[in-house]
Amino acid sequence: MGWSPGLLAMNLAINELRLTVYGLFVALALLLLGPATPAAQDLKPGETIGPHNWERVKGMVGENLLERIKKGYGFKISEPTTYRPLREYVEATKKYAGRVRLGSDGELLNYVAGLPFPRIDPEDPQAGLQVAWNFYWRWRGDDYKAGGGTEIGRVIRYAIEKDGSERRADFVSYFLFPRTRVTLDPKPVIPGYEHIDSLQLRVDSYPRDSAGTALLEIRYADPKRPDDLYLYIPSLRRIRRATTTLRCQTLAPGEYNLDDINFFNGKILDFNYKLLGEKRVLTIYAQKNVPYQRKKGDYLPLQESWEVRDVYVLEITPKDPAYCTSRRILWIDKVTWEPARGMTWDRKGEYWKEMALFHFPAKLADGQVVWQEGTGYFVNVQNGRSTVLTTSRLYNQGYPPSLFTLDMMQKITRGGDVE
Amino acid sequence: MRFPTRPTACFLVIFFVSAAPARAASLFGQEWEKFFKERVTFGGFVENTAGLSVAAGDSRFTTSNRFIMERLTFQPEFNFDFDERLKLFISWRFVKEPRYNKEARDRRRNVPPLPPLENTFYDEDSPKPWELVWDIKPTDELSLRFGRQFISWGETDGLRLLDVINPQDGTFTPPAAANLFSLDETRVPQWGLRASYRLFPASQTALEFIALPGFDERKKRVDEAAPTAGRWAPHPEKRIALGRLFTTPLPGTFAVVPSIERVFPDAGDNWKLGGRITHTVGKLNFGLGYIWGYNPQAGDLTFKFLGASAVGATTVARLRLFNDRTSIFAAHFNYALEELITAVKGEVAFYPSKPYNISKYPGPAGFKAGPHPRHPDGITEKNTLRYSLGFDRAAFIPFLHPDDPWRAFSFSLQLFQSIIFDHEDGIRAFSTAEKIKTVSTSITFRVSTGYLGDTILPDVFLGYDPEGYWLANPALSYVPPWNERIRLSLIAALYGGRNKFKSFGSFAEKDSLFLKMRYQF
Repeated sequence: MGWSPGLLAMNLAINELRLTVYGLFVALALLLLGPATPAAQDLKPGETIGPHNWERVKGMVGENLLERIKKGYGFKISEPTTYRPLREYVEATKKYAGRVRLGSDGELLNYVAGLPFPRIDPEDPQAGLQVAWNFYWRWRGDDYKAGGGTEIGRVIRYAIEKDGSERRADFVSYFLFPRTRVTLDPKPVIPGYEHIDSLQLRVDSYPRDSAGTALLEIRYADPKRPDDLYLYIPSLRRIRRATTTLRCQTLAPGEYNLDDINFFNGKILDFNYKLLGEKRVLTIYAQKNVPYQRKKGDYLPLQESWEVRDVYVLEITPKDPAYCTSRRILWIDKVTWEPARGMTWDRKGEYWKEMALFHFPAKLADGQVVWQEGTGYFVNVQNGRSTVLTTSRLYNQGYPPSLFTLDMMQKITRGGDVE
Repeated sequence: MRFPTRPTACFLVIFFVSAAPARAASLFGQEWEKFFKERVTFGGFVENTAGLSVAAGDSRFTTSNRFIMERLTFQPEFNFDFDERLKLFISWRFVKEPRYNKEARDRRRNVPPLPPLENTFYDEDSPKPWELVWDIKPTDELSLRFGRQFISWGETDGLRLLDVINPQDGTFTPPAAANLFSLDETRVPQWGLRASYRLFPASQTALEFIALPGFDERKKRVDEAAPTAGRWAPHPEKRIALGRLFTTPLPGTFAVVPSIERVFPDAGDNWKLGGRITHTVGKLNFGLGYIWGYNPQAGDLTFKFLGASAVGATTVARLRLFNDRTSIFAAHFNYALEELITAVKGEVAFYPSKPYNISKYPGPAGFKAGPHPRHPDGITEKNTLRYSLGFDRAAFIPFLHPDDPWRAFSFSLQLFQSIIFDHEDGIRAFSTAEKIKTVSTSITFRVSTGYLGDTILPDVFLGYDPEGYWLANPALSYVPPWNERIRLSLIAALYGGRNKFKSFGSFAEKDSLFLKMRYQF
């Protein structure tokens, strides 16, 4: 704690990238990062932001949040939090990144594990695509349980109406990345799973009628192959197949769709990417309360401090003109490659959704401190509804592939644990 | 009143008390408190369903039975997470319906000289758990589930084809009303074992074996339906459906009252066994299996005519259910047609030597039916193939969703066909004496979506028989935006067709409207 971005970068360079040439490039790039706006440079830890000085954070927060600040929302600025990439992930990056290439269609070739493109050259016409692949393969553990880090061991989700009334729905989500493992054996791939990028088993747990509803999603290594999606419906006690090509459908009562998950969950090759640059933005990277405190009916955090982080600004536009968004902007943290904020515009080009994700430090079993998802929100600025999710993860739990099976889904009881 | 019974009440009190940490500490000590807090979850629901009959009906359809349902259900559910390899789920189901004596009195008045039909009501007040399943995982690949449970195979929605392992109690609800009571609420759980072994998880390859020894009460081992008797019979006032197959053999009588004897298998003779393998190839997921101990659904019940006797001007026909057990060769599949945003699903069931009632029409001496010359016992056996083919699709209809054009509509279209090989004239449904053709077809269609952040949830289930029968089961649910535990649903069950003695048409005079109020905890 208490490191400036420049010192953070130096620390990174010294500790993780000591012997690598590209590591020095990264450190230099971070050291030389200039502030995106004069305001960012001026922000001091302990300073309070509010309607009296909203101009100071212009460009560092989303448009919607800026409007809220103008109308009275306020927060304190804290010192930036220092995070170091996971040791094994850095080692895998060193070992494998040199051979990674982009194919003629933009697909990733020769990728094994770690960060595919540790050096991003903003002048490279493919920098945007490289950032997108880095985002796709950012470290999220060899497996994790979303919601495992909350007090109740579940993702806590609130759907908030425009008038402030809200409903709660909880679930857990298990992820396994079977072919890019850096910590858990077998490494880097579980035999037989070379063709699968990720497996997700999601189980609703509250309220009772939806409890036991399970979703199994399989994402394949072939970037052109659609995901497989199966749903277990407790009222039928049967598994139903679903298609995943309709990726824009609202996953009600939330205000997000399949591609909004993690702020961008699309198939990489379905979109065009443009690196708009790098900037310094405001976010929460040391969330104190999980979930954060908030006023009932509102999605913004209270009693939390915001800090300045360095991000890549990635513009994502769909190749399909019928797609629901015309444009998506992601602010991707340069150290963690996690999304800090996302913004989408609808097909008419009107501002549609703004999303933010906050983090906090968490300790792994071996003592390494990693970043951890805390709470995030989605705001549909067009209809006024919002969704707040606390997804705190438990990493590297050693989930077996047999957990991610149709057979397993049929054994899930209402409200029961699947582990 | 036996609700809940004393042991159940004691058990519940113990759990409620122990779930409250402060009290649990004093009652059970810290270890127990910790166990209940960390390892036990509690849920369930309370629901009230009130139903009104909306159709005018005929002259015998009095207003007394317009009030057709007032049902209170309470279902507590507990999960015990002892260990990652040992879990227990246990639930109880308590259902109570007040008695409608006026209905019986009206029937007595309306249909002399027949005795009034028995008023049957849906009560569940047994301390025996509704579900009680022990999940044991000896290894990562092998999982065992013991106890009173539901086992459902197949892919269909609303109607059942391979989903015949657990019996269904259809005596207390209108038929095929998927939006009123889901299959899960009409199935009867069975004691048994379900074992599965995951051979290759990456290809979803698994072997499954089921064994249900028939420990349940005899009435709960097989499907129950009320085609001719009881409050939920389609035509209780007239009782003209059943018995047409054996039109009164006694002179001077004008009505047949069936006296049905259902001979249930003995406990040791009531095993249901099955096995299947499931696998995925590319985008195709499928299963192949076998079920022995088939549980016939209402339309499949085949009866033997044992004899008749006269009671006044009425003939009482004595009948015995014939086919409680047989076998099914089963297959099911699903396939994602991503380009068409459509999931295709299907089921196939082959019944070797499936029994059917058969008679000669018309019968001798002016009788409607008589003994079949080749099948004097009134039963023939035919190989039968049944299959379903379904298409599930999601689609945007922006003009119907002004508040969120990206909230999809879900559409589901299903085709069901039954094919009787080596078909013979005279094969008829026992309960209604309607012809069963070589090929019988039903089509279902379902559409659902959500409005205003899924606080308004319309869901319409339709059924159609090309011979001219239909059902509509629309539902509109409201989930208040301020409380996720409450759900109110208005549901209609509507039936029609040219002949009310066949298929969905048999409930044509029981069009009804229901209000369900559910609180989840």
